[in-house]
Amino acid sequence: MSTSQAIFAGWMEIANTTVDDLARAQAEEATLEALVSQYASALYRVAYSVLRNAADAEDAVQETFLRVLRHRDTLDEVRDQRVWLIRIVWNIVLDRKRRAKTRPETDDLDELARVLPSAGLSAEQFAAAAQHHAHVLSCVDKLPTKERQVLTLSAFEELSSVEIASVLGITESSVRSRLFRARNLMAEMLDHARSQR
Amino acid sequence: MNTQNAFGSNSNSTSPISVTGATHNAEATLRLIAALPSPEGLENRVIAGVRSAPRSGRVLGWPALLSPSGGWLRTAAAAAIVFVIVGGGWGVYSRVQPSSAIVAPPVADAAAGFSNAGAVRVPQTLPAPLVVQPAPVQVTQPQAAEPANMARGKVVPGKHHETKHVAGNKTSVQASGPNTK
Repeated sequence: MSTSQAIFAGWMEIANTTVDDLARAQAEEATLEALVSQYASALYRVAYSVLRNAADAEDAVQETFLRVLRHRDTLDEVRDQRVWLIRIVWNIVLDRKRRAKTRPETDDLDELARVLPSAGLSAEQFAAAAQHHAHVLSCVDKLPTKERQVLTLSAFEELSSVEIASVLGITESSVRSRLFRARNLMAEMLDHARSQR
Repeated sequence: MNTQNAFGSNSNSTSPISVTGATHNAEATLRLIAALPSPEGLENRVIAGVRSAPRSGRVLGWPALLSPSGGWLRTAAAAAIVFVIVGGGWGVYSRVQPSSAIVAPPVADAAAGFSNAGAVRVPQTLPAPLVVQPAPVQVTQPQAAEPANMARGKVVPGKHHETKHVAGNKTSVQASGPNTK
């Protein structure tokens, strides 16, 4: 049992008894802090993979835990907290992405150049790598929405296809078929771009 | 984190489909982004933001005895709904009792409006079997011609001797064979 689950179990016990609100608030706070320390990093990476902006991703993580705080009474019904939290942050970042205007590709390049690891690379290699990554991301952005979502989530090693299906609310076979289509489309686009050079 | 290490170490074991080199590079980019470390102090900032958030969930707290999380309140609400529905049904039933005899509506007061002036509608009876009285048949037997025909032995076909039977008010005509004239 993880730390958060242990505290969560204690929280349930507290909620069923008639303790004062102060103790309950403290228990809730401890639970939430445990959730933050355990899952904030993963949620940030999910948010960043969609938004590709550090500040926006951090805001999305913040909003995720605020939603958890708002629905803390239903936490006892959650079976897999990790997938549940990823689903929340996924919906938040998709909503933000939908609202935000399309950013120019140079922004992605600058952001990638800022966050990409540069150890062991010369300046030219680093610039070429950043350009390559930006080109790949622009091809990913051209994918259909369903295929793009599955491809983006499949990049997270800690998410199995079952968990991706749970986050997206589809079946596992749909995840596999969409991933297959996404890879084929990506191969076509990258080959086309390579032949044009 | 090294880029080359990230490329090499990220192999998605759950993906059932083998990828080509181009897509492998593309997915390596996505994996690289997915594996980027979170910024320093992210957890502290998130916790501080959560602590400072207004907790509007419990403005009015229920007393422990009347807590809506208790099961008895739900049961009481269900019982109240059932009571209202059954009571309403019984009220309607007690007012509208089914009666065996059809009660005619009272005659409206003449001063209050139109009245039927005591007229009672008599339904039209079915017509009885119609009996048509036939005209009296006068059987005339020429006395003078009879012997002459018999004498000649001439038989006229198609002519019947008619006998009239009268029973009650009904008249029937019966053929009794060829008539000789």
